[in-house]
Amino acid sequence: MNNLVYLIPFFPLLGFLINGLFRKSLNKPLIGIIGSGSILASFVVSLLLFFQVKSNGALPVQPLFSFIDVESFKIAFAFQVDQLSSLFLLIITGIGFLIHLYSTSYMHDEPAEHFGRYFAYLNLFVFSMLLLVLGANYVIMFIGWEGVGLCSYLLIGFWFKNNNYNYAAKKAFVMNRIGDLGFLLAVFWILAKLGTVEYYEVFAQTAKLSNADIFGITILLFIGATGKSAQIPLYTWLPDAMAGPTPVSALIHAATMVTAGIYMIARSNILYTMAPVTQVIIAVIGLATAVFAATIALKQNDIKKVLAYSTVSQLGYMFLGLGVGAYTGAVFHVMTHAFFKALLFLGAGSVIHAMGGEQDIRKMGGLAKKMPQTNWTFLVACFAIAGVPPLSGFFSKDEILAAAFEKNSLLYYIGVAGALMTAFYMFRLYAMTFLGQFRGTHEQEHHLHESPAAMTIPLIVLAILAAVGGLIGIPEAILPNAHKLEAFLEPVFEQSTRYVHEAHTVSHSTELMLMGVVTVIIIGVIVAAWRKFSKYQYSDAEETGLGKVLENKWYVDEIYDAVIVNPLLKLAGFLKNVVEKSGIDGIVNGVGRFVGYSARQLRLLQSGQVGNYILFMVLSLVVLFLVFWNETIISEFLKKIF
Amino acid sequence: MNAIILSAVLGVVMMFSSVFVKNKSALKHIAAAGLLVLLIANIADTYGCSLFKIDLHNMLRFDKFGLFFNTIGIGATLIYVVLSGRDIEKSGNYVAEYFALIFFVLCGLTLLTSFGNLLMLFIGIEILSIPLYILTGSDKRNLKSNEAAIKYFLMGSFSTGIMLMGIALIYGGTGSFQLEVVRSVFASYKGVSFLEIAGLLFLLVAMAFKVSAAPFHFWTPDVYDGAPSVFTSFMATVVKAAAFVAFIRLFDARVTETSAAVDWKMLFSILIISTLLIGNITAVFQQSVKRMLAYSSIAQAGFMLFALFSLNDMAKEGLLLYAAAYSLATIGIFAILIKMKDVSFEGYNGLAKTQPLLAATNTIFLLSLAGIPLTAGFFAKYYMLASVIKTGSYTWLVIFAVLFAAVSAYYYFRVIQAMYFKNGEAQTDTITPGFKAGMVIVAAIIVIVGILPQTILNWFYF
Repeated sequence: MNNLVYLIPFFPLLGFLINGLFRKSLNKPLIGIIGSGSILASFVVSLLLFFQVKSNGALPVQPLFSFIDVESFKIAFAFQVDQLSSLFLLIITGIGFLIHLYSTSYMHDEPAEHFGRYFAYLNLFVFSMLLLVLGANYVIMFIGWEGVGLCSYLLIGFWFKNNNYNYAAKKAFVMNRIGDLGFLLAVFWILAKLGTVEYYEVFAQTAKLSNADIFGITILLFIGATGKSAQIPLYTWLPDAMAGPTPVSALIHAATMVTAGIYMIARSNILYTMAPVTQVIIAVIGLATAVFAATIALKQNDIKKVLAYSTVSQLGYMFLGLGVGAYTGAVFHVMTHAFFKALLFLGAGSVIHAMGGEQDIRKMGGLAKKMPQTNWTFLVACFAIAGVPPLSGFFSKDEILAAAFEKNSLLYYIGVAGALMTAFYMFRLYAMTFLGQFRGTHEQEHHLHESPAAMTIPLIVLAILAAVGGLIGIPEAILPNAHKLEAFLEPVFEQSTRYVHEAHTVSHSTELMLMGVVTVIIIGVIVAAWRKFSKYQYSDAEETGLGKVLENKWYVDEIYDAVIVNPLLKLAGFLKNVVEKSGIDGIVNGVGRFVGYSARQLRLLQSGQVGNYILFMVLSLVVLFLVFWNETIISEFLKKIF
Repeated sequence: MNAIILSAVLGVVMMFSSVFVKNKSALKHIAAAGLLVLLIANIADTYGCSLFKIDLHNMLRFDKFGLFFNTIGIGATLIYVVLSGRDIEKSGNYVAEYFALIFFVLCGLTLLTSFGNLLMLFIGIEILSIPLYILTGSDKRNLKSNEAAIKYFLMGSFSTGIMLMGIALIYGGTGSFQLEVVRSVFASYKGVSFLEIAGLLFLLVAMAFKVSAAPFHFWTPDVYDGAPSVFTSFMATVVKAAAFVAFIRLFDARVTETSAAVDWKMLFSILIISTLLIGNITAVFQQSVKRMLAYSSIAQAGFMLFALFSLNDMAKEGLLLYAAAYSLATIGIFAILIKMKDVSFEGYNGLAKTQPLLAATNTIFLLSLAGIPLTAGFFAKYYMLASVIKTGSYTWLVIFAVLFAAVSAYYYFRVIQAMYFKNGEAQTDTITPGFKAGMVIVAAIIVIVGILPQTILNWFYF
């Protein structure tokens, strides 16, 4: 059973190779079957492994081959399946399969060749993501980390004929690379101090690291995470990444890749537990991102942009959870978020599909009647993300907020404010899309239809998961010993738990009371948003004041352009036009000219006259003698003569 | 011993074959078969199976290094005859005699890899050189060929005179021609004898002439350019490598290390610098590929001189590898050059379109000469430079050599550029499938040696 591990990434890799190499000769149904089937096969194996881990605990590390072997420096290409990675395996392959299935219908209008390319990229993405979570050391994780970054780039720019999309892809790539540098430096740091990058060995030797080492390593790893998981200051790529096909947004930019940073920190939890300063930084940045992105989401009119900022905001909550030491809560939120945010994106995709590519919610409205399944599944997801009990988002978000409350009640209050905004913008989105009067063109109205089964089935499955997925993590305050996830993940975070050994300071009654109050306020916000936006009338009047600032995303992109991008471009221009042209080229061409000149001169030695040649040879011989005509030889010579 | 006697006998057989064999095109098959016999006999000798047991009184001494080199030299000649046999036929009326002369050259080569006596060195050099004078002038109606032959002969005679002078001086100083005796005299001497140093210096100059090291290289471009291309190929490869082996046998470590009065390393570094400089720089400006290759052979000699500079085991290994890599690549390039209608750089324009396979293999040969990794040439250069670094000093010389290897990339890549990136209709003679197959095999050997040099060297040293 253990040796099945390698099959999990193998199937998507095979799917990638087949679809990628034969995309011109395969037909669309076959491409779809290969693409989705490979993920389904991985899902089945992941499920088997999950149950094995559940009953027997973590599997031993599975070395496949020696990856780097230079003298004492050895890195094995090894896989590690424990509670944390088996949970992520299920999320990746399970939701991955649903999204592949959905894509077979959503991407149906693409020509076969591009259809094949799409599935090849998607399979390659799943392969990389699986490597990321399966790797037994930081280097394998980094391979997956770079792999998902590449696939994200390729898929954002999937419609490469649109230059704006290419620009968005480039932006995502560059932003990620900034983070990757942090990750790499952290790995080097670990390697320099401990001589190994294997998780087991690193975590067993944490005592050898000084506080400064741990702080440096954790901060650098966190910088890597801010890139991949779109946190302040590196979050701006994620909203632009919506240029890619909508299922890609669902899979990569909501459910899986963007949670890689959370996985990485949860995996290294002991290091973070030992670095309280880093934890505070993470909590503050996470919370700031959560609230900041939520404010932007309030005023966005593009259905995918709203969801994108919502994703950034929810990721912020996850980092808040990591920062306050609620590792289980963060992972829990990764899981529930994967359910409801994938559902939201797929629902949005269904809407965009029906609207013939329209993404502006001001031009929608009243879709509930035309698209019943999309409507009710979307509604479930909205309730889940808003945190209405007993849907999944309630439990995971509550767990994070409760942990924040224990640390510092200020974190809690700001977090709750963000949660209220979440409820508001989600129901604004819902009401403007599905309720009220249809505001699009007649042609669009005529065209409106419910999506085919390949698209609605994933919606329904995800809706069920988003509704009941939270029940595996019912807090102690409501039902004792019902937090199955915590029990399951306990071995992963055991080291951290032992390190902290803090008792709960908040009583169950306080916790219950806070829950109740927040829930009531959230429902109030939902009702208000519902009533306000179901009567929305289209107007293209410009926003003013704060509204305008929010609609323009606090002008962060513009600030980055002015402060970082443009000065860099100016410097590059200077290097290209001045240093390169007159400096480097001058030197290189100068050397070339010099050699050419010497060649022309030296050539003249070859006169063709034998007499000259022999003269040169004799002269050279004499010179050689003179060079070595030192005192000893002279004295010898004189002795011989006289 | 096998190779010396058999090569002489086979040379005579080839001469008589012109009387008995009327079909000219059969001659190259006879020659190839003879070379194969020679190759097998020499390999047998390497494994201790000698056909002839003659007391040589240390006039000749056979050692592994020399015998391995024989294998390389005879093997390279075999490849050369197989690839270019047809063109040897075309170069004149006396086909059988050309092959006979090639066998005599090999006889000289085997003498040079085994001499134990200065007279044997002299005889070997002469047996090696005289057939070449004839081969250079084999294109009788071509004025350039005649001019080249007479120039070669004149300057060759001059260098022979210098060599004899050197041998005489050493005899005057030590009282013997035997290499062993000369060495022991050098080793035991407390002071320095002017006669021996001067003699050795003369010998050095004569050998430098033979391997075309600057500033004694002047004959090379004129002769290589004037001789029929097919014989230039032979001269620039097998013959030059043989001269190098003789050179390194002569200047064995004990001679140069003990005669402290002369800084031999300094002397060799002067030779190396001027050879690399003149070879590489002058090659840059050439308009004819053939003449460029003549200068390139001077430049490559500069690299092979490193073996004489460092004189350690690595240098000897490296010289074997270098000789093999350089000879194979150059034979391949010349085999294609002979087929070209126009041997200027322009003549190669667009060869990749008209003869893609030839262009591809030619590219591999050129890359090997330039010392690009994954070809035999890279490791050959690597061994040479590493042998210098092992001696512990003169690192600047290595840097200098690497810089000039970079310059050499320029003129080798000019050919590649012409073949692939210039528009034109390169004209070639008819190319047979067998020729193509031969080129592919040679290219494959170069790449395999480039990937697994250690395997090949280990196989040599079993």
